[in-house]
Amino acid sequence: MMRLLLAIIALAVVLAVPAFAGEFWTTLLTQIMIFALLALSADLLLGSAGLFSLCQASFFAVAAYTTAILQVRHGVGTLIAAPAGVLAGTLLALVFAFAVRTRGVYFILITLAFGYIVWGVAYRWASFTGGDNGVTNVPLPAIGPLRVTGTTQYYYVVLVVVLLCVWAYRILTASPFGLSLRGIKSSETRMRSLGYDIGRHLYMAFVLAGVFASIAGVLYVYHNRFINPVAGSFPVSVEAVLMAIIGGSGTILGPFIGAGIVLILRNWVSGFFHYYTGMLGIVFIVTVLWAPKGIMGLIARWKSGDRGEGV
Amino acid sequence: MSTVDRRPIMTAGLTALALAAGIGLLGATAAQAQQQPPIKIGLLPPVTGPLASPGADMVNGFRLFWEQANNTAGGRKIEVVIGDTTCNPDQALAQARRLVLQEKVNILVGPLCGHEGPAVAQVSKETGVPLVMDAAGADNVTKWDRTPTVVRTAVSSSQIGHPFGEYLYKELGLRNATFIGADYTFGHEVTLGAIKTFTALGGKVAKLIWNPIGTKDYGTTISTIPADTDGVVAVVVGADRIRLFEDWYNFGMDKKLKIYGGYWLQEDMLSQVDDRAVGMIANSLHYAAGIDTPENKAFVDAYVAKYKRLPSWFSESAYTAALWVKTAIDSIGGKVEDRDAFLKAMRTVQVKAPRGPLKLDAYDNPVQNVYISKIAKVKHPVLGDVLVPTPVKTYEAVSQFWTWTPEEFMARGPYKR
Repeated sequence: MMRLLLAIIALAVVLAVPAFAGEFWTTLLTQIMIFALLALSADLLLGSAGLFSLCQASFFAVAAYTTAILQVRHGVGTLIAAPAGVLAGTLLALVFAFAVRTRGVYFILITLAFGYIVWGVAYRWASFTGGDNGVTNVPLPAIGPLRVTGTTQYYYVVLVVVLLCVWAYRILTASPFGLSLRGIKSSETRMRSLGYDIGRHLYMAFVLAGVFASIAGVLYVYHNRFINPVAGSFPVSVEAVLMAIIGGSGTILGPFIGAGIVLILRNWVSGFFHYYTGMLGIVFIVTVLWAPKGIMGLIARWKSGDRGEGV
Repeated sequence: MSTVDRRPIMTAGLTALALAAGIGLLGATAAQAQQQPPIKIGLLPPVTGPLASPGADMVNGFRLFWEQANNTAGGRKIEVVIGDTTCNPDQALAQARRLVLQEKVNILVGPLCGHEGPAVAQVSKETGVPLVMDAAGADNVTKWDRTPTVVRTAVSSSQIGHPFGEYLYKELGLRNATFIGADYTFGHEVTLGAIKTFTALGGKVAKLIWNPIGTKDYGTTISTIPADTDGVVAVVVGADRIRLFEDWYNFGMDKKLKIYGGYWLQEDMLSQVDDRAVGMIANSLHYAAGIDTPENKAFVDAYVAKYKRLPSWFSESAYTAALWVKTAIDSIGGKVEDRDAFLKAMRTVQVKAPRGPLKLDAYDNPVQNVYISKIAKVKHPVLGDVLVPTPVKTYEAVSQFWTWTPEEFMARGPYKR
């Protein structure tokens, strides 16, 4: 009952943000939601299946580039360009998902390499991607007579899409499939001896994570209205994972909290506090040392009455 | 005793006088400020990240100008707000939006990194806030992808490359040159711009070697330079400038071949190289600290007095951007809220900058001198012995289209690897 009430209040606040917070915070919250979705996609692998992926930015960028190029150069409408973007990211995920044949540090290394391939192609294939200059002048989304004309409207579009994704994510992690992923994370050998097809489960999880990252990418390109290879670069992938870890890996709210902390520090605090990058570093270190389960982990511990005195 | 007693009274009197004067002054400025709110200018330098040092030069140059101008323009106070872009387009976009939406700036100035340019132009386009582009050089911005609310006060990348190609052929007598270029948009545009004019005159490219930014070792690059080449041209940026310099000598290349900087030995890194650099062709740029004009002397002296180092082209460029903005604001009596009038003023005023006379062409890019500079050792009254890039040849009033018509250039398309 309490949780339902909290959820309703939260929803009311989020819905009312554009009305009282002004355009800057509306834009910033839009950005936070988009990157939280990317962090959530990284966390599907990390929190559920225990795989540390460093190529989530690849699907994000490929989806964004596809949508941007279709819209800007070929005049294709959002109705086709946006799903095409998600499709392109997903197709890439179907290929990259073979990374799940490896584990541990090898998985990290192979996804790192995949990430660099996508970044390199975006950077070097200048005749197609625009190279460093990227693709500019991406229009706001419009489907038939329905047009997004400003930041407030786009905020609601992102809100709806992200909520739908969260809903799907919830169903997914609570399903037998999601539970068996958790099982694989806890003990792969036991799950195998119980007859689960580990490879297929992880492959599926990787592709689904790619789908979420691709949706985030499409939302991102309409938000920024500009894309360049940096969107697919290594730091973006790392940050997605860090956001999940700061907020609390394996939870749904965690990536949102993490994305909020990182982006507010960078985009707002940087305006009046010069050493914000140092602060970001301190947040990372403190999280890793004292709150490995992130902020959600701290909240859970506090709720359970464990103040950390006992063992 | 009496003299000792009198001293505190005198001090008190003087203090009171000073205070009264101060309050009077404050009152005057307060009255002025009450008439009209201050003009807010958003500056977008990379304060942190890989280009933090040019970013600092940019902030210094900008601040120096406004300090000299008493922080006023068109009878209104000027307030500068800084957004750290970290040399990342995403971050530049977010910061530009913050400056516009939260700080409510009237004008944006920046960004510095080439690839941030289109991103910030996007913000100018969607919000209508005028953007004075400095120092991002992407050719696109003033050619194929122009935005009505964006004017550039610095330089187009290939604008500095074109004269150098001609210089290589005509003045240095090269016929079969090897080019070492930094492998990203700015490097491509500068290098290929020089190659275009060099080959148009009949020069041959012995080899063109691209190096990614952050190349750790120039040994491989140097060993692939063809033996029959008659000179090497370097277009390198950042820390690579020093690595190339050191490796050039480490491999004994100085005894075999001549190397010329198209974009190489600049003020900010000259303190890290030694006298071996003296006499080398350093740059083909729209600025060199050694320009011998009263405007530049005054600028360099003021800059050195304040920051104890030579200004780089990033410093001068930001200083001039501020000068340009002030000239424009003055000419419209401070009414920056009329964005069209401000942009029109930016496009029509002419300024006498430290780097020479400037005005915008029909495509919003400055027509300006390009200086081929050589490193000279100078005894500076404040800095002691310093290496200074000093112009040896000036190409006057160079257009971003060089000698081609804009239509020809535009039809040809951008320089791409």
